[in-house]
Amino acid sequence: MTDTEIVQDYSPNFEAWISDFQEWQTRIGFDPSWLGDYRFDIKFDWDTAGNSIEFGDFEGMPKWQRRMQIPQQNIRDAIISMVSVQGDTEFASVEQQNHLLATAPTEYDKKSALRIMCEEQRHGWQMAYLLCTYFGEHGVREAAKLLERNAQEGTRILGSFNAPIDHWLDFFCFTHFIDRDGKYQLKMLSTSSFQPLAASMGPMLKEESFHLGTGANGLRRIVKQGVIPCALLQKYINKWVSTGLDLFGTDDSSSAQWAYVYGIKGRYDERESDDDADRAHLNEASRELYFQELRDEMRRISKARKDGEPELTIPSDKFNRGIGKYAGKKYTLEGEEFEGSDADWDAYLVDVLPTDEDEDRLMNDYMQQEWIQYREWKGD
Amino acid sequence: MDPIPRVEGRLKMQHLALLAFDKERCKPFFDRLTELFYEHHHSSKQNPEGYEELLYRIHRPYTNDMLDMVDDWMGIGKREWREETTREVKLAMYAIRYPDTLLIDSFTEGARSDIRRLSAYLHFTHHTYAIWDEDTRKGLAKLGIDIPATEVADPFIYGAYVSAIELLKDVAPFTCFLEHDVPRQRLFQAALAAYGRE
Repeated sequence: MTDTEIVQDYSPNFEAWISDFQEWQTRIGFDPSWLGDYRFDIKFDWDTAGNSIEFGDFEGMPKWQRRMQIPQQNIRDAIISMVSVQGDTEFASVEQQNHLLATAPTEYDKKSALRIMCEEQRHGWQMAYLLCTYFGEHGVREAAKLLERNAQEGTRILGSFNAPIDHWLDFFCFTHFIDRDGKYQLKMLSTSSFQPLAASMGPMLKEESFHLGTGANGLRRIVKQGVIPCALLQKYINKWVSTGLDLFGTDDSSSAQWAYVYGIKGRYDERESDDDADRAHLNEASRELYFQELRDEMRRISKARKDGEPELTIPSDKFNRGIGKYAGKKYTLEGEEFEGSDADWDAYLVDVLPTDEDEDRLMNDYMQQEWIQYREWKGD
Repeated sequence: MDPIPRVEGRLKMQHLALLAFDKERCKPFFDRLTELFYEHHHSSKQNPEGYEELLYRIHRPYTNDMLDMVDDWMGIGKREWREETTREVKLAMYAIRYPDTLLIDSFTEGARSDIRRLSAYLHFTHHTYAIWDEDTRKGLAKLGIDIPATEVADPFIYGAYVSAIELLKDVAPFTCFLEHDVPRQRLFQAALAAYGRE
């Protein structure tokens, strides 16, 4: 049962970081007045985090509450790295998306996107707080870097978070596919042996569910409206799925295995699963759960399509991959090895991924119409 | 004389419901919330597609047709109100601000006569107000939150009902929220209804 603690007093390190954060907001063009009465609270759900290490080689021992309780420097470094990557994605997504507020299709979408950006910034605060409060000078340096890397300059840690999000279809795809990966990452950290990290995840996951819902419902509303043809939507789905799959990392990952051994990052279904973890294939297992979820969700989204429109599908997990055993290889949407020349392959990609012409048609034709089902912002 | 039946000890009821709240008692409910939600909301009786349609089709400016659509989905028959009463309720939908329920006290008898109908109008115009449902009330009682039974819209009883669901949202673990396609009030209200029926 959860009693969320809201931290009232911040360390000087974190207070100094907040000044840098305000400069970052100005730098990326996020007007703080857009926040209204929203507060960047630091929230912990200690009950759900648990007290005993749940898996790995330290299983059964008390969860670590402070840096000096962590038994090895390499474990501290691994935690700092995970917190930094998570924080990096939170600020990156705001850099990618905040320009969209000016072109929102409805007030509902504008308010929803703004809420998402506020909450992503709060998640970034939470990660910066952990770094500044628990990890000394090393943590302070990493927290500063969260605001120095920049999505528009292509310097964010993960590829998806450097990709431009030029329009609202990309925004809904991003929140559906990439924020869904975020849900997986947060849940995998919710059982962490480092208790402040585990306790951070409950409040973040509660907020993240709204982000996923915005993506899934946004895509459903587009499909239902029927202005943008499903064939074109399919190209954007093809583009984003492979990106989402790549975010789970390499196959046979040794760093995922070490994270499991240390107890700092579990499986997505760590608490629910009765099976022993296959430590050599942790990323693959999480990716498969994510992939199955994408297929289930797409069936639901596709049901809303107009008569005569083709069914929307999730492409094979072999298609267009940048990471793992299929990286750089030529597979079709159906997962068959592509037979043909390089020129044939390039022509195939034009057919199945968005082109400049598609972008032009999307923004200058379809999006000039009532392209998404209207929804009212209820204002409560 | 007040024509609306009132419930004795309603202030005491609110205190008991919201201050003496036993969080541990909620654990079995939270553990099964997703399953319970699907059991209720996705039953054919609840017409989930019709519910989703209303989320989009009820918007300002509110019309009588929109209220009719809500009545249809609720399966409660057409309201037999004078036009002034309908207008009074529609105006209140613009004025009311969640989680306030005291505005209900200023309604005429006709408007207050059916809490299910009025709560449904509030839900579909604001999404944050929960639909009144007897099974949901029983579900809350199983969690130790006793809300009196009523058929009329008493602002204090409905206020306690709304606040209780809001409280559950606050204390529920993240596992209750991983995936949902309805407003959170509906998620909890529907799950409570299934729980209350068991």
